[in-house]
Amino acid sequence: MAQDRFTGVGIGLRRPHLEQVAEREGHGVPFWETCPENVIGEGGRFHRMACAILDRDPILTHGLAMSVGGFDPWDKQYLHDLSDFILRTGTPWHSEHLCFTSVDGSCLHELLPIPFTREAVRHTITRVRELQSRLPVPLLLENITYYAELGAAEMDEADFISAVLEGADVGWLLDVNNVYVNALNFGFDPKEWLSRMPLDRVAQLHIAGHKRFGDITVDTHGADVIDPVIDLMQWTLSRLGRPVPVLLERDNHIPDFDELLAERTRIQYAYDATLVLTEVRHD
Amino acid sequence: MTESRTLRLQRALGSLVLDGGEAAIEADPGRVARRHGLSGSDQRSFREQVPAMMIYRELARLSLIEPLESMFPVVKALLAGARSWDGCVQAFLDARVVQSSQYRDIAPAFLGWLAATRWGQDRWPFLLELAHAEILETLVARFPDSEPLEGLHAHPGPGDLVVLDPATQVVTYAHAVHRACVEAPVPEARPTHLLAFRDGDGMARLMELTPATAALLVQAQNRPIAEAAVAVNLSDLAPVTKLLYDLRCDGAIAGFRPAP
Repeated sequence: MAQDRFTGVGIGLRRPHLEQVAEREGHGVPFWETCPENVIGEGGRFHRMACAILDRDPILTHGLAMSVGGFDPWDKQYLHDLSDFILRTGTPWHSEHLCFTSVDGSCLHELLPIPFTREAVRHTITRVRELQSRLPVPLLLENITYYAELGAAEMDEADFISAVLEGADVGWLLDVNNVYVNALNFGFDPKEWLSRMPLDRVAQLHIAGHKRFGDITVDTHGADVIDPVIDLMQWTLSRLGRPVPVLLERDNHIPDFDELLAERTRIQYAYDATLVLTEVRHD
Repeated sequence: MTESRTLRLQRALGSLVLDGGEAAIEADPGRVARRHGLSGSDQRSFREQVPAMMIYRELARLSLIEPLESMFPVVKALLAGARSWDGCVQAFLDARVVQSSQYRDIAPAFLGWLAATRWGQDRWPFLLELAHAEILETLVARFPDSEPLEGLHAHPGPGDLVVLDPATQVVTYAHAVHRACVEAPVPEARPTHLLAFRDGDGMARLMELTPATAALLVQAQNRPIAEAAVAVNLSDLAPVTKLLYDLRCDGAIAGFRPAP
């Protein structure tokens, strides 16, 4: 299966590292994740380097700005280009965020929360099914960090995400850092939260750093991953009992490539240790 | 379609994030929800989560403003010096012209908004040119790749047309905007001709042209090189063809083809 190529800890492919990744074939990173919005419709030197990497290494695709829970019509040209891009990379799935990013044709370039309501669940399920029908590979949805509930909630976040995943029958890109950050901001136990969720739908994990600003913790992707988040990743992998790929995200204060590789290796050790224990337990 | 509560909530958050008037949310936290016809419980939700709602305003505005600050540092220095940068940015956000989901399109959307509205150009007639010059190399560097053009030859002849590389731009400004900098953001009023193109490595390069060379590059795309050279008073054809050949080697010109 194509999915078998994707295990271990990969890294989000970012522009500052393109040259080194393109030149260093033996980089040891099992796979990269790329944002199609940053590649489709581009040209020039960095684009050529990105394409060389995409054509050489295992790639997962992860969209940034598809307004899954919004109301704006799909950009048909972009969806066409996205499908071509997905096929070119050979990614076994494509992921988007469970959020809205545009309203009345105005793109806000931020992952905004969908109301936790029955009406929004129905609307989002319809949109996700539409989107899935336009993609050549299975769609995964990623849980976001949120800082406020949009309007008076009729359910909590866990029930909202579960209802959408189950209703639309799609897979889950579980961002453990987002769970951790939400747990800090809203005061719940992340493991208890995860225990309520449909973990059988998890196909991939995200892991990243965050930062506290006053009373609110923000998912910055701008710092090293802290030990409690790695612990949550290990706990989740253990519960899953299967080696789903983990993707290290770093979008701000991007370190030197070698420093990022060292961070990846640190998380890979934790990943491997968890899987060994899981196998022992299953034996 | 009837306007659902979900849509009204999303519109309310969009307004809270973008609208200049919502900066004062602390004074009346439920106002944005009322504006969008939301019920008392939804208004209460906005009122009870003001600090968190303001995080969204800060994050989204950061996402939209950061590319402007990084792509237009000289425009920002010019306008900030006159305490007009924030007003310019807010007018841009109020116009809601960022429609693309691609981050790289935010800065070109700002340029298009400046061109469409002529914002600030009564006071700074060079503002649009300055913004264009600041983004020119990036637009050329990132111009979408395409298949190589076929049927072109490498050496220009007098009866040939010039075919520019698709990424190449020949631009003429009324001001020397490419010389402006953060420390001296007001450009000299002097006609300026620039050639922006990608070299063989795909990197953007900028070359200042004489008026005659700029006119030649424009005219020779539609009439034979010899005829275009005469039209711009370049009587000696040998240096003209040498220049055009060099520009092809540099990557600015894709090649030459016989005029029909």
